Amino acid sequence: MRELTFMQATLEGLAEEMARDPAIFVLGEGIGKRGGNFNTTAGLYELYGERRLRDTPIAERGFVGLACGAAMTGSRPVVDFMFSDFLLDAFAELVNQIAKMQYMSSGRLKMPILLRGCIGIGHSAATHHSGSYYPLYGHVPGLRVVVPSTPADAKGLLKRALNSFDPVVFLEHRELLTTKGKVPDGEHQVEFGRASIVREGKDVTVVAIAITVRHSLAACEELAQEGLSVEVIDPRTVAPLDVETILASVRKTGRLLIADETLAPFGLGAEIAAQVADLGFDDLDAPIRRLNGSHVPTPYSPPLEAAVIPNSKSIAQAIRELAAE
Amino acid sequence: MAIEITVPRLGWNMDEGVFVGWLKANGERVRPGEMIYSLEGDKAIQEVESLDGGILRIPPNAPKAGERVVVGALLAYLVAEGEKAPFELPSRGTAATKAQAPAAAGRSQATVSRATAPSIAADRSSETSRNKAISPRARRVAAELGVDWQSIHGSGRTGRIRERDVRAAAQTSPIGAQPKPSGAKRVPLTAARRTIARRMLESARSTAPVTLTTKVDATNLVGWRKKMEAAAAGGIVPGYTDIFVKLAAVALKEHPQLNARLDGETMLLLEEINMGFAVDTPWGLVVPVLRDAARLDMMAVTGRSRELVERALARRLLPQEMEGGTFTVTNLGAYGVDAFTPIINHPQCAILGVGRIRREPAVAGEAIVAREMVTLSLTFDHRLVDGAPAARFLRTIASLIESPSAALDT
Repeated sequence: MRELTFMQATLEGLAEEMARDPAIFVLGEGIGKRGGNFNTTAGLYELYGERRLRDTPIAERGFVGLACGAAMTGSRPVVDFMFSDFLLDAFAELVNQIAKMQYMSSGRLKMPILLRGCIGIGHSAATHHSGSYYPLYGHVPGLRVVVPSTPADAKGLLKRALNSFDPVVFLEHRELLTTKGKVPDGEHQVEFGRASIVREGKDVTVVAIAITVRHSLAACEELAQEGLSVEVIDPRTVAPLDVETILASVRKTGRLLIADETLAPFGLGAEIAAQVADLGFDDLDAPIRRLNGSHVPTPYSPPLEAAVIPNSKSIAQAIRELAAE
Repeated sequence: MAIEITVPRLGWNMDEGVFVGWLKANGERVRPGEMIYSLEGDKAIQEVESLDGGILRIPPNAPKAGERVVVGALLAYLVAEGEKAPFELPSRGTAATKAQAPAAAGRSQATVSRATAPSIAADRSSETSRNKAISPRARRVAAELGVDWQSIHGSGRTGRIRERDVRAAAQTSPIGAQPKPSGAKRVPLTAARRTIARRMLESARSTAPVTLTTKVDATNLVGWRKKMEAAAAGGIVPGYTDIFVKLAAVALKEHPQLNARLDGETMLLLEEINMGFAVDTPWGLVVPVLRDAARLDMMAVTGRSRELVERALARRLLPQEMEGGTFTVTNLGAYGVDAFTPIINHPQCAILGVGRIRREPAVAGEAIVAREMVTLSLTFDHRLVDGAPAARFLRTIASLIESPSAALDT
């Protein structure tokens, strides 16, 4: 096991897969010689040149359509959006073509395409560079939606994506990119649809994703001193969603909080709450609670920006209140 | 004005019953006097008659077949042609059940009562108690542990009962707190079973029972019955239970203090001798009552008891056919039992248990001879009668068994 940053871990995963599979190539703005805005392709241009690390103009719909066609005809494109907000400029290609193509071709066409980019609020990136939108992608049939929280999961899930024949939206929280964690040596892949029980506990279940996993773990430390034992579950993939693991945890604790930085309406928490209310009703000892980012465009001002997102304090408080319900 | 159809009280002690099913369809016209639904009371299923006419309208949340319903519970409405039922009107929600005790409670006939202001008030108060909040998990755990959560105080922020409250209650309550053992099957109690349980407990709690047993020579009785059998040539012959019912009734005439019950600070010596006799049915024990048994001759007792047993086995006993008993006979002879300790059918004074009749060696003078012997077990309420008079009563029955002709042939 080595200690790597989130960014180093995904780069390692991509490098390993590009070395293994010559059909993999990367499209994006500044991912060639520059090595990617977040060092997502650092050092790869030197190995593979512009044939496999292809810089694009600022024309998302065009190059996503190009990647769609490349995937249909046997290549394995990786589209690097820098900020996943820009994927919205190619939303129709994603929803209407990439997600549906296997279905429309009765499975004759495969769509091995990886679309990656940053999500999350922080560093005053402001409203055009702070979107997460995974509930939007999770809503679309045919897409795998990956939202890792640790370097090890990021590498394992990225490599899994590059071995999958389904389109994968891979979302990396920007505030996690420099965080460090242990990454297994050698070949390491993580299955889609397998949640991780990040911390075991018996009083309250917290489902957290991306940055809120870290916040929740910090909150747990604080609450343990108050005698509250909290279980933290990280679904790791929004689609497919591992409801079984969440249900098993709620069966134990009877209480469920979903802590998610993205917006509450029609979101991940709403989906999990509905499924648990449906399948785990008799296990619930309290109403299901959600803690989300505020339903507003992300502000630029640092104090306002800090005010619209959950943090370890607000998560701890939400857990306390839920335990008292 | 819609007329409410509510659950009547079919017997004196009935608090709730089981709704068996509708005899009329939703939307069907009902005439006064027509049977409208059937209801299982404490011990029998009975068809309930409509006292009014109109078009039957059954609300969607009305009790379903097999559900328990409390006396007074609202089942449906009778409405006029073209009239909307209350549950179809937007402003007034109507609960399908209400724990209202109708003014007609205690009447054993079918009732269809009209909505009145007090009944609406009763409805509201019962709503409040039913709205006590409990989490789904706590409700599940309460069912698993057999805890009655209605009496628990909730510790949730809004007073909601939580799992921990149920577990705490289960630990402090000695009764009904045992978790279900693994492999056990949970079977809901029928109305009949609940009634038996309640009555038995009531008797055990409120009487001072003493059981006397004695062995009696029944050779002559067996001989008498064989004679009857031969004479009947395939016709009806009194059964042993019938015979013991008759003999006990005759004996009670001489011992009125055994045909009595406590009434506050007084003892009621009852004039009528109404003999209950225990009948085992697939649904549990029932005790039909032979009214004025002392005045009936043996064949009349036999005929009437057969009729009651048949009705009991068809689940067709009317509540009034199980009421008013003053003494009970229970015969376990057919099951090979000799002596036992019957439980008094409260508020009666005593119960006679009859064992099997079998040939045994007996001493006659200096010789050992084979005789037909039977053991009698008399349980009496020592509050009402002492040991000696109870023993004298038992002696009277024994004499009647030893020399039965006089009592049985008249």
